Formats: sequence, C-alpha cells, structure tokens
Amino acid sequence: MINFLSFKKGISHAFGVPAIGLGASMFTFGAYLKSSGFTLLESFTSTFFTFALPGQFVMAETIVAGGTLLNIFLAVLLTNARLYPMTVNIIPIIRHSNYPKWRYYLVAQFIAVTAWFNMFAVHKKINQDEKFDYFFGLAGFLWFVSVICTVSGFLISNYVSHKILVGFVFVNPIYFLVMTLTNLVEKKIITSIILGSILSIILFQFIPDWSVLISGLSAGTIGFLIFKKEKYDS
Amino acid sequence: MTANFIYLSILVASIATYACRAFGVFSSKNLSVDSPIFHWIKCISVGIISAVIAKIILFPVGLLSETTSISRIASTLVAIAVYFLFKKNVLLSVFISTATFLLINFYL
Repeated sequence: MINFLSFKKGISHAFGVPAIGLGASMFTFGAYLKSSGFTLLESFTSTFFTFALPGQFVMAETIVAGGTLLNIFLAVLLTNARLYPMTVNIIPIIRHSNYPKWRYYLVAQFIAVTAWFNMFAVHKKINQDEKFDYFFGLAGFLWFVSVICTVSGFLISNYVSHKILVGFVFVNPIYFLVMTLTNLVEKKIITSIILGSILSIILFQFIPDWSVLISGLSAGTIGFLIFKKEKYDS
Repeated sequence: MTANFIYLSILVASIATYACRAFGVFSSKNLSVDSPIFHWIKCISVGIISAVIAKIILFPVGLLSETTSISRIASTLVAIAVYFLFKKNVLLSVFISTATFLLINFYL
C-alpha cells in the first residue's frame, strides 16, 4: 500500500519552483530534439526512460555526431555517474521499515538533482515511515512534468522566441546553484561545493570528459577529511 | 540516423543511466545515515553537482554557448547575491538572475 497523504504532500512540494526549474530545461530539450531531426515519439521515449537531462543531451549529440552504441553507452554512463552517489545517499534517508526492495528500485528511476536537493531540504520535518511516499510523490511528479515539458517543447518550440528558449536553458543551472546554496550549513559541505567548482574549472582544461567526476570525488573527499570531526547533520 | 538506431540509442542510454541508480540502491543496502561513509558520499554528491554547475556556466554546449561568458558569470553572482540579500528566497533569486542574463545578452 501507499500513504496517499504523504504522496500528495510530495507532489505539492514539487508543484511550483522545482517543477518550473526542471520543466523549463526539459522544454528546451524537446525543442533541441526537434531541431536535430528526432521525432515526437523518440523525444517522449528519451525522457520517459532516461530522465537525466545532461545524459540525454549527450546521447542526442553523440547520435547526431555519428557515434556508435558503445560510444553512447560510455558517454552517458560517464555523464550520469553522479546518480550513483546521489542514490546511495537518498535511499537510507527515505527507507521505510517494511517496504519491499522492489519499491526502491522503482523509485530509483525518479532520482535526479532537483528531487534530491528538495528532499534533503525537508526530510527532517517528515516522519521516517512517510518519507518514501513523500519522495515518490515529489520525484515522480517531477518526472511526469519532465515528460510533458519535453513533448511540449517538441510541439510548440516553433512558436517560442529564441530569446525565451535561451532563458529557459539558463534557468536549470541557476536553479541547481541556488538549491546548492540551501545546503551551505556544514563546513564539509561548503568546502566540497567550493572545491568542486574550482577543481572542475581547472581540470576541464586538461581532462574535459573526466573533469566533473574527478573534481567531485576529490572535493568531497577533501571536504570530508578536513572536517571529519564536525558534528553530522544528515 | 535510422529510427531503429535512435530507439536502440535511447535504450542503451536508459540502461547506462538506470545502472547508476540501481547500483546505488544495491550499495545503500546496509548504509546508515549516521555512518561516516554516508556523509563522505554526501560530500562527493554535492562536489559533483557543483562541478556540473561550474561546467555548464563556464563551458556550456548548445544554446548557452551562444551567450557571453560575462553574462553567465554576472547572472550567477546576481543569483547568489539575491539569495542572501532576500532571506534565501529561491524563486526570486532564480527569476532575477535569469532576467539579468537575458537583459545582458539581448538588450545591452
């Protein structure tokens, strides 16, 4: 069974800024796929099954550039590898005392940056056994909005000015940035965020494909080790 | 670029993405939110996310690459300033930053 009240609260949380932040980028992705020669069904399928925007862009760009299936697999795996630590982090937070394993593998499909940050921002105010359904509502609704916005972007982008599309693309990184700012509480997190940004800029000059993963791994490890004795605030 | 190849590509991309999530669920099996490993992984997660943001803002691809670096950097600083000046208001921060970005790129 599902706790519909918690599920609905999760949807209410997603409704508004989180949905607008993610939806704007998905709209632009739909517009991009149309301009690159993809069909409506292909655009729909991409967000429905993948639901991780940077990886979806990489997939589309690799197809357009004439890459092989192996190229696509490796490029997307590298781009979306951030989902691994994010999932390891969110599952213990939303763990329910008696939900079966398959539910976690189902909800995992909806784990992405927007839902992750928003859940971390509120989870302490939610009872442990209500967290799973709350997150299911929050992340599931964001997934649903993403699919709708991808399709809308494909269908109506011709009627939207270029300037607005450019503005839509910018909303997503800025929204992620502001959500990152909401996490500036613990010293180890602040250090990891600042170092991650700086290292990413430096490493991009030398190893562009690996810069994000190596920067994040190094920054997180350094931040954690320096402030290892800091009181945990999970 | 045949339709079959595109659907196979979407399948391959979905498998690569879901593998990261599924392996994450598997790895978190016995992980407690009070354990040091949990906090180390949280640091890594936010480190990776901040690295992604820095990369998108400074070295964008696609539509954003048509815009100036100055506009992206200035708008990012505006977002941070508005966030702290206006009681950590997320919506206002995103809105003013995006408006600044459009203003610099298209109207100045």
